[in-house]
Amino acid sequence: MLLQQLVNGVTLGAVYTLLALSFSIVMGILGILNLAIAELFMIGGYLGFAVITAHLSLPVAVAAGMAGAAAISAVIEKIGYEPLRDAPLVTPMLSTLGFSIILQNIATNMWGSDPLQLPDEFLGGRIALGPVSIGELQLIVIGVTIVLVAVMAYIVQRTSMGRALRAVAENRDVARLLGVSGSRITLTAFMMSGALAGAAGVLIAIHYAAITPYVGVEIGLKAIAVMVIGGTSRIWGALLAGPLIGIAEVLTVAYGGSQIRDFVVYGFMIAILLFRPQGLLGGSGADQGQRV
Amino acid sequence: MLAIRGLGVQYGAVTAVREIDLDIREGEIVALLGANGAGKTTIARAIAGLLPFRGEISFRDQVLKPNSAEHNLRAGISLVPEGRGILARMTVEENLLMGIYCRTDRRAATADVGQMFERFPILKERRSRLASLLSGGEQQLLAIARACLSKPRLLLLDEPSLGLAPKMTDYVFSMIGNLRSEGLTIMLVEQKARQTLKFADRAYVLETGRMVISGTASELAGNAAVSEAFLGGGTKPPHHAN
Ligand SMILES: Nc1ncnc2c1ncn2[C@@H]1O[C@H](COP(=O)(O)OP(=O)(O)OP(=O)(O)O)[C@@H](O)[C@H]1O
Ligand SMILES: [Mg+2]
Repeated sequence: MLLQQLVNGVTLGAVYTLLALSFSIVMGILGILNLAIAELFMIGGYLGFAVITAHLSLPVAVAAGMAGAAAISAVIEKIGYEPLRDAPLVTPMLSTLGFSIILQNIATNMWGSDPLQLPDEFLGGRIALGPVSIGELQLIVIGVTIVLVAVMAYIVQRTSMGRALRAVAENRDVARLLGVSGSRITLTAFMMSGALAGAAGVLIAIHYAAITPYVGVEIGLKAIAVMVIGGTSRIWGALLAGPLIGIAEVLTVAYGGSQIRDFVVYGFMIAILLFRPQGLLGGSGADQGQRV
Repeated sequence: MLAIRGLGVQYGAVTAVREIDLDIREGEIVALLGANGAGKTTIARAIAGLLPFRGEISFRDQVLKPNSAEHNLRAGISLVPEGRGILARMTVEENLLMGIYCRTDRRAATADVGQMFERFPILKERRSRLASLLSGGEQQLLAIARACLSKPRLLLLDEPSLGLAPKMTDYVFSMIGNLRSEGLTIMLVEQKARQTLKFADRAYVLETGRMVISGTASELAGNAAVSEAFLGGGTKPPHHAN
């Protein structure tokens, strides 16, 4: 049933979009791939799980996932990025890789390496819309994503802090001349990025009704692919690429078999890198200035 | 207002400027002249707080720390950098709003942005346009307007006439004159020495990282040796391009 698959694909794509935006904020401002984001996402999922199974409401779960991941992200910035900010770009990236492995290790020790399942009582009903049936939780995933993207877009495009973020991303020296503190903006970027990753983690836990310590690696890598496909220099490219990859993946599984789905997603990413490195939404190759 | 003593700046092993002494008094326009690679930009960036340096820079009885741009801005020093420093991916209005980022008097600052639009109708006309789409002259205007919005006491301008047509250069220079009559103190980095000396009060001439001559603008303009050696322009090959 094609329509049904599209709905499922968009739900999955919503999570990819949030996580890709999370990668994109740090990438856009600092030029580094913060590999720990994948595990902040996973930790966010566990935090959300804990809140839901404690019979608190979903918004509380999302807020808890966001706050927890943002706090850990701030710690990573202070310990793993700030001291290395003048080192070559690969150095802080390796440090975030270290953090991601530590976080995964903490999660396996705290929650075990077997998946946790969300008990049936929390699953919610399904709503039939003609031939398509949408889970209540699916609607929540999509709804929360839309709200968070709108809030993010407002902050980045319309507030003084958002302008400062963009100024640092475009030209750090000019931003300093205008009074923007590079280190404060960096911390802000890490925390915003962490909050989005945490929210995405809660949403994926709801979507799959399960969570494992390895979800970060699996979904995190896909979100990086989504960011690349959307265009690493155009953070909003993820809004298009996320649902697109979500749908492509779901359709591949439905009609081609699950053994080839990663082939499709990463094949698409490699094709973009080869033939359209600025991404789907990126401008012409010529305007690809340095991002940082 | 500004006093520099024994300033030295190195880029790695390369010494860009050394033993620089320079003073700027309240209300003056001081010109900093020199050929390509003489070290003008280096001095301007050191004053603005973008570089580590040796020696001492004090501003209004306050000793400035190296590399402390945000603090220096809040103390009242604003630099329009070489190449204008426009934020190309932002609109004209957003660029001006970045000019008031450092202000704490939000309401008055927002009103000042409105006033800038009244003062420069061309910017108002183009307010929602990407700054990268402005002409070179309009960008320079925007850069100076943005710097003024931080309410500086000392405005540093690094080659504001670079790449502008003669008519636009005249306009920018007259704008700088207006800013001074409004009470701003200005340090003007330029290569167009003759034109600059016409409206500067005093000038310093740099050669390969050292201060060689300083004096009032009329003294320098009348000094034949100076005009020969430093003001002719184009006698030295460019050391670098930025
Ligand atoms: N980032 C840098 N790294 C290394 N050397 C530099 C750097 N910037 C400037 N220099 C060197 O320092 C010296 C002074 O340069 P500076 O840019 O201050 O000169 P300038 O007088 O502003 O020249 P121009 O008129 O071309 O703008 C030059 O020899 C230049 O090559
Ligand atoms: Mg220069």
